[in-house]
Amino acid sequence: MVAKKKSNWCIVLCFILPFLILYTLFTIWPVLFGVNVSFHKWGLMGKTGFVGLANYEKLVRDKFFWQAAGHTFIFVGLSVPFLVMIPFFLAVLANRPGSLRKFLRVSYYLPNILSVSVVSYIAVYIASPYMGFLNQFLHMTGILAKDAEPMWLSDTKLAWVTITAATVWWTAGFPFLLYLSVLQDIPEQLYEAARLDGAGSARMLFSITMPIARSTSLLVIFLEIIASFKVFGQIYLITGGGPGTATRPIIQYIYTTAFQKNNLGYASAMSYALFIILILFTLGQMKIQSGKELYE
Amino acid sequence: MNKEKNNKIKSRGDPAVSAAAVLTAVIFLVPLIWAAACSIKVEGSRIAGPMDWFVPPFTLKNYYDILFSSKVALWLYNSVFIAVLSVVLTVAVTSLAAYPFAKLAFSGKKMLYFYFIIGLVVPGEATIVPLFIVANQLNMLDSYAGMILPSIAGSMNFMIAVAFFRSIPKDMMEAARIDGAGDFRIFWSVMIPLSKTILVTISIFSFMGSWNNYLWPLLCAINEKMFTLPVGIPTFAMTYSVDYVKPMTANVVASIPAILLYLIFEKHISQGVSLSGIKG
Repeated sequence: MVAKKKSNWCIVLCFILPFLILYTLFTIWPVLFGVNVSFHKWGLMGKTGFVGLANYEKLVRDKFFWQAAGHTFIFVGLSVPFLVMIPFFLAVLANRPGSLRKFLRVSYYLPNILSVSVVSYIAVYIASPYMGFLNQFLHMTGILAKDAEPMWLSDTKLAWVTITAATVWWTAGFPFLLYLSVLQDIPEQLYEAARLDGAGSARMLFSITMPIARSTSLLVIFLEIIASFKVFGQIYLITGGGPGTATRPIIQYIYTTAFQKNNLGYASAMSYALFIILILFTLGQMKIQSGKELYE
Repeated sequence: MNKEKNNKIKSRGDPAVSAAAVLTAVIFLVPLIWAAACSIKVEGSRIAGPMDWFVPPFTLKNYYDILFSSKVALWLYNSVFIAVLSVVLTVAVTSLAAYPFAKLAFSGKKMLYFYFIIGLVVPGEATIVPLFIVANQLNMLDSYAGMILPSIAGSMNFMIAVAFFRSIPKDMMEAARIDGAGDFRIFWSVMIPLSKTILVTISIFSFMGSWNNYLWPLLCAINEKMFTLPVGIPTFAMTYSVDYVKPMTANVVASIPAILLYLIFEKHISQGVSLSGIKG
């Protein structure tokens, strides 16, 4: 048996070698190598000197880092509740009989397949004052007074609204499908029984659908927290992190520091701060999932 | 109507809820409809108000201009080339790696499996700076190799492929082995044909991931000629500050391939998402 196992290794290696190399080089090695970078002064041309923990000390005192961290938390706080609740209601709406079912599922998920650039530029053109669809629509329907022209992109508070709305529109499809797959598995007899007991649709929603979807909600909360911490594209493209740096998230600050300010060492140190936050939430998410699998 | 009422499942289809569902769907589709409407309008015409959408003149000139006299065509080519090659390599590399973990016994299997799935906890966005330096050291910046190779070997696809291969009954393999087939032969003529569904799912997600990838190509493509659509579109859009008919056309051009694929493989995508939600 031992001999057989050992002779297998040659074949095994042939199968796994391409994956092993690519995975090690581009997924695992950057994680370890990044630690090394963060201990150095490192420019786009390469390493220029060892600085020990100086980059981490700088991070603690850097008000722009904390500002960017604050914006990231704001974004998490704004987007996660919507991305947990709206997809649930979308799933309730789409989990219905007949020909509508597919149309609804496709419509709700469709924005999810667009690239962040397309989503951002559609959002920008919709939200631009004077030229955009949104203000025109609001004027036409009389929701907005004729002379009012909200600055959806350049007023900080409204910019957050635009960013959050674009993100929800773009990414609600993923948690929506997660919820939908759970709701589809709820046996129809459960609703039948409730109906015989005189329960209305609201009652059934609160007493049957919601409790069953609870463990999925928890999973969605974690997945969306992780996704929102990684926000970059839509903010970078919709507001450019502005006005000024008023909406700039961590990844954009890392990007600017590394590639515009030529400080890859400090950018790596900041990446590690983000890395640690994300790992903690990812481990939490995995714990929920393993619990779920045991339960099933 | 009577038929509907008789049907037990359909009795839940409250018309008010149906109306709300359709209205919500329309809200989700309006931005895309608007983008499509803009793309067939003449430059300089009114497009902001919903009433303007359906007013002629319509034209396909924007598409002609975008595809024949702008860089968008080149970026479209890059996006297609990179996405197709990513799909082929991802499927090949992942399924090859998954086979021994599902079907062979070898020492160190558990440890190596753990090593291959630990990537699930590594957030790519947080390692982008060292990845850039690694790609630079390998001379891969501004090249197709640099754009493609980092996204090929993913833990999630690996895990899904191993789980699927495991579920294929051993007797099929044994039959082939008795006929004298080696592992590569079994992999190629038994496993691959039986795994079509999962390989299609991995292909679609890999295509979509590549097609829409933004952060990495933004760093890796330095010359305009190497841009993909997601990287190019913003630079293209910034050159149009007054009218957005052309950039909207570019948005539509960039979205059509993904939308078509989605409509064709909708079932696979929906199932794939549920699978990722369960398996992690």
